[in-house]
Amino acid sequence: MALDAAGGAPVRIGVLSAEHVHAPTYISLLASMPGAHLVGVWDEDRQRAAAAAEPVATRAFDEVDGLLERVDGVVIASANSRHRRLVEIAAEAGVHVLCEKPLATTIEDARAIVDACARAGVRLMTAFPTRWNPAARALESTLRSGALGTPVFLEGVNTGTMPDSHAAWFVDPALSGGGAVTDHVVHLADLFRWILRSEVVEVYAVANRILQERFAGVETGGLVSMRFASGVSATIDCSWSKPRSYPTWGGLSVQAVGTGGAFGIDAFRQRLAVYGTHETGISWPAWGPNADDGMLAEFLSAVREDREPAVTGVDGLRAVEIVDAAYRSIAAGAPVSLGAGQL
Amino acid sequence: MHVGSRAVSHSAPARAGTAAPLRVGVVGTGFIGETHVAAWAAEGIRAVVHDVDASRAAALAHRHGARMAESLDELFGAVDIVDVCTPTHLHAAVAIAAARAGRHVICEKPMARSLADAEAMLAAARDAGVRLFVAHVVRFFPEYVAARAAVMDGAIGEPGVLRLTRASFRPRQPAGHWFFDHARSGGIILDLMVHDLDYARWVAGDVVAVHCRSASVAQPDTGVDHAVAILTHRSGAISHVSASWGYAPPTFVTAFEIAGSHGLIEQSSTATSPVAPSLLAGAADGGLTAMADTRLAGDPFRLELAEFARAIRDGTDARIDATDGLEALRIALAADESARTGAVVRLPQAAR
Repeated sequence: MALDAAGGAPVRIGVLSAEHVHAPTYISLLASMPGAHLVGVWDEDRQRAAAAAEPVATRAFDEVDGLLERVDGVVIASANSRHRRLVEIAAEAGVHVLCEKPLATTIEDARAIVDACARAGVRLMTAFPTRWNPAARALESTLRSGALGTPVFLEGVNTGTMPDSHAAWFVDPALSGGGAVTDHVVHLADLFRWILRSEVVEVYAVANRILQERFAGVETGGLVSMRFASGVSATIDCSWSKPRSYPTWGGLSVQAVGTGGAFGIDAFRQRLAVYGTHETGISWPAWGPNADDGMLAEFLSAVREDREPAVTGVDGLRAVEIVDAAYRSIAAGAPVSLGAGQL
Repeated sequence: MHVGSRAVSHSAPARAGTAAPLRVGVVGTGFIGETHVAAWAAEGIRAVVHDVDASRAAALAHRHGARMAESLDELFGAVDIVDVCTPTHLHAAVAIAAARAGRHVICEKPMARSLADAEAMLAAARDAGVRLFVAHVVRFFPEYVAARAAVMDGAIGEPGVLRLTRASFRPRQPAGHWFFDHARSGGIILDLMVHDLDYARWVAGDVVAVHCRSASVAQPDTGVDHAVAILTHRSGAISHVSASWGYAPPTFVTAFEIAGSHGLIEQSSTATSPVAPSLLAGAADGGLTAMADTRLAGDPFRLELAEFARAIRDGTDARIDATDGLEALRIALAADESARTGAVVRLPQAAR
């Protein structure tokens, strides 16, 4: 058996469900990642499992137990509302879990996920790759260095095309939990919590269904304002505001303002502009590093070293609480409070 | 009559019964007063200026070849239009006095420090039968004009989500300057954010709910330096409006994104500057107050003042009137209240 960089046995990894658009990326990265042994993919849809396994010639499992008994950890990449069931099965099998974001579509499910892993004594990590994006890390280290002084305001934009082009379940609230607010608030909410080391205590949000040809199934436009216990205010534009003609999927940017000035990041700015034929149009292929790489490596390390991952299940739960508060605020038309910190 | 080349073809007299050129008086000779005097001069109009600080008025008159009036009454007696460029809290008193003296009024934004003042200005102009315009110059910036025209042409369908940004450094006025006194200026929300509040309403229509959060960056004792408002328009559109004096000089970024039912408009001053100076000598420090470099695409202040002058001369409408100024102020005051109380402020249906 090949040794990994740390000198231990490779961490045996499986992927549960390939419903999510990120699954092929995870599978591809894990197949070639030092210290990882990709055992295979399970999906309740056998054809989808086979299709996901084929590019890297890994095994497609028909039975979830067959995969779980051969791995140390799994990456769960199902539709949002199916996370809970898969996490509970994995935890019961004693397998560590990296779960796609959002951790769940309800606070109840997110708590159940955290509890199931705690009970089973397995590690739980939430897939927030933005923490490994170099620009986001530069923002974090700038804040830590004190160069920005005391932070006072964060403005985040995480907008994109409507993800039904990837998979129809993204716009089916029974499976996704919601639209743009569910899809795009959690990355920045987690980034803000991480760089501020503070919890959200109040949320105000508005949403509408005008964008994307007035798609009515879920909200497509959303703006969220939040206040942290530290006193910092932050906003997130989470809209699916990029039309299908947009040259890339979307982006993530932050403007941070503090007593020492301002610091801006545009996480996916490292890209080309490619002008093709009339049919292929304009595209902006990224050439910057893939933050998923760092996130997966952290999960492998946490499993190998039997320690808490840098992003925990509780971090995922906190983000779900913020999304829940956003929907409560949209319904109320007023700011709503969050009881920060309790599990 | 010299009010821009387009005006030359009009033959209507400046005022009923006279063909004399419009005479303009500028009250207040601070930063914006000087900007307006220069714009009037570029339009071929030599303004009469007045300021409570006579030496400042004299210096400005000297720089721009303007004439100076020793008193407001002297100025009112010498002009057709009074261009109010005083500190915000004094707009109403000067504008109302000018209207009562039978002079047309152009008033710098924000229209006034309070809604009551703004309503009194409207009433005074109506009673005196004079025109009243509020100078929201962003409606004359070519990128903002082009974007609104694209929206009105249906290029992106119905506006759904707007994000408007105005980011700069703290104006370099001395401590104690009226600008930093919330009671007199209304702070960053009334002074800076009001530009984009008006623009959001121009593009997406009347606003029914306002939420705002603000923070003080540079000097906690002198007011708010960064504010973000979230507007809900009657149409259902939502707007994120950000205004900042928290950046380092010489930053002055204006940017917007307008997402619609079937398209998107993006604009940022950082991405569209047609010049990129990197000169060893005379590196920019941003000046006293940040301002967009408007010379490269036509001076919006000239376009604005010329349009108001034409409207006054011809009895026609401009793209913005006093009611628009009042509605922008109403939204700004709601944002200021929301920032203070934390609550969402709901606005009554606009007058029209």
